[in-house]
Amino acid sequence: MERATSLIKIPVTLEIPIGPQHPAIHEPILIKVYADGEEVVGVEIGTGYNHRGVEKLLENNTFYKDKFIVSRICGICNTVHENCFVRAVEYLAEIKPSPRAEYLRVLVMELERIHSHMLINAIMAEIIGFDTLFMYIMRDRELIMKAKEIVSGGRVLADFHMFGGVRRDIDEVKRDKLIEILKKVEPRLKYYRKLFENDPTISKRLTEIGVLKTRDVVSHGMVGPILRGSGVRSDTRAEDRYDAYDEIKFNVIVRSEGDSLARMLVRWDEALESLEMCKYILEHLPSGPAIVDERKLPRTFPAGESFTRVEAPRGELTYYIQHTGGSKPYRVKVRTPSFNNIINSGFSYLRHSIADVPVILVSYDPCISCMERAIVVNLRDGVEKKVTLKEIAMGKVKL
Amino acid sequence: MSIVKEVLKNLLSKPITIEYPRKKPTPVEKDFRGRHYADLKKCTGCTLCAIECPSNCITMEKLPENIKLKHNPRGLYPNINYMSCVFCYRCVTVCPVDAYITTNEYRLSSVKEVFSRELTLQTVRE
Repeated sequence: MERATSLIKIPVTLEIPIGPQHPAIHEPILIKVYADGEEVVGVEIGTGYNHRGVEKLLENNTFYKDKFIVSRICGICNTVHENCFVRAVEYLAEIKPSPRAEYLRVLVMELERIHSHMLINAIMAEIIGFDTLFMYIMRDRELIMKAKEIVSGGRVLADFHMFGGVRRDIDEVKRDKLIEILKKVEPRLKYYRKLFENDPTISKRLTEIGVLKTRDVVSHGMVGPILRGSGVRSDTRAEDRYDAYDEIKFNVIVRSEGDSLARMLVRWDEALESLEMCKYILEHLPSGPAIVDERKLPRTFPAGESFTRVEAPRGELTYYIQHTGGSKPYRVKVRTPSFNNIINSGFSYLRHSIADVPVILVSYDPCISCMERAIVVNLRDGVEKKVTLKEIAMGKVKL
Repeated sequence: MSIVKEVLKNLLSKPITIEYPRKKPTPVEKDFRGRHYADLKKCTGCTLCAIECPSNCITMEKLPENIKLKHNPRGLYPNINYMSCVFCYRCVTVCPVDAYITTNEYRLSSVKEVFSRELTLQTVRE
């Protein structure tokens, strides 16, 4: 009897759907992972579970209603959406807000940045199985939510901006309360930052995971803390100096490692930087009027185009408004940071283990409600074909 | 994170959570954007709030026949559906006669739809 001399093994590739329910964050996105054993060999990112048609809704409503609708695009970063839209309309109408209003706008946006960064770091702690830390960060995040409530009147949705100013002002009592809260939060933020840097539980799961080289980040058009975590110095606040950012000093945080830990540490450092900015604003708040009388604002705006961008907690957010006169915009185009960061990031999961997929996804700070877009299908013959964005831009696609 | 230190600290400290709604409600600011309704002593029934509402939750209704108001010749008043209201307070800021009464009441959850009708009509019955 002859004995076998060789054995042939056929690798089995598994298709594992991660999501659309709770893939890591509590928002619907499908990450279809193809795995060879434990190693990820392919990733498909499926979106479209949360599409609401906001851009179309904006075209059908007046600018004043749109102002409130845009802040509902995303719950976490609602003030930056508001700020971007309001500034775009202000450019059209040539309205200039008062210096105090500009400072207050920055105050709310920076408070929002702190609580957004705290949230994603808390979720990261939860994903890697460090639930105690999740509870701790969420407890301290509540203080920032309180601060936001004091300034704007709402814990989450601020509804703080208005064309030509803001809708609420703060007095001395509120100012002291805010300073008190910021004093309480500062040691906690420093503690968490130290913890993320030194704790072995965290560093074992995050170091060298999802490494993005500078070249990859730039070629895939990623923005925000991901870009800065990979060594690119890019921050819209520093580049555009919109609102009161030209008077408030701050550092742009850049780290060169490019892994998940670097991105999380960039967020902690930015939160600390934002805290300093909030303190500066409260101490150097210019006097004068800030609240705009909404009854005296114009009903219609002059025709034109405007393009604005802001630094949202997740990266650069842009608004493009095309207006042909009247009270409603002709077209509003929103480009959110998560759209770039998540859809283009499929390559970064490759060659990691399946357990690392949620970690990498969370380190990009995805905001699914921001990034949903629609695909147009010709219903007459039922043909669905893939087209590139370039073809649409060149007008080669006929619907 | 030192486990022993954290355990000792937490054993000696009060719980951070609030037993809502069994005990006292969650503390909110005085000017928190909560339930608001129109004051009929001021409201002129101009319908501006209903036009401007971003969530279309305000409907203008006819006043009951026993209520006649000089400053409200059309006999209309705004009725807010709190279930679809987003509490942006656009109606409050856009009102030409400042007719809205604002409160910080946030406990509005209900199995039925909740409207501002009763609260608004009470303002002239008092």
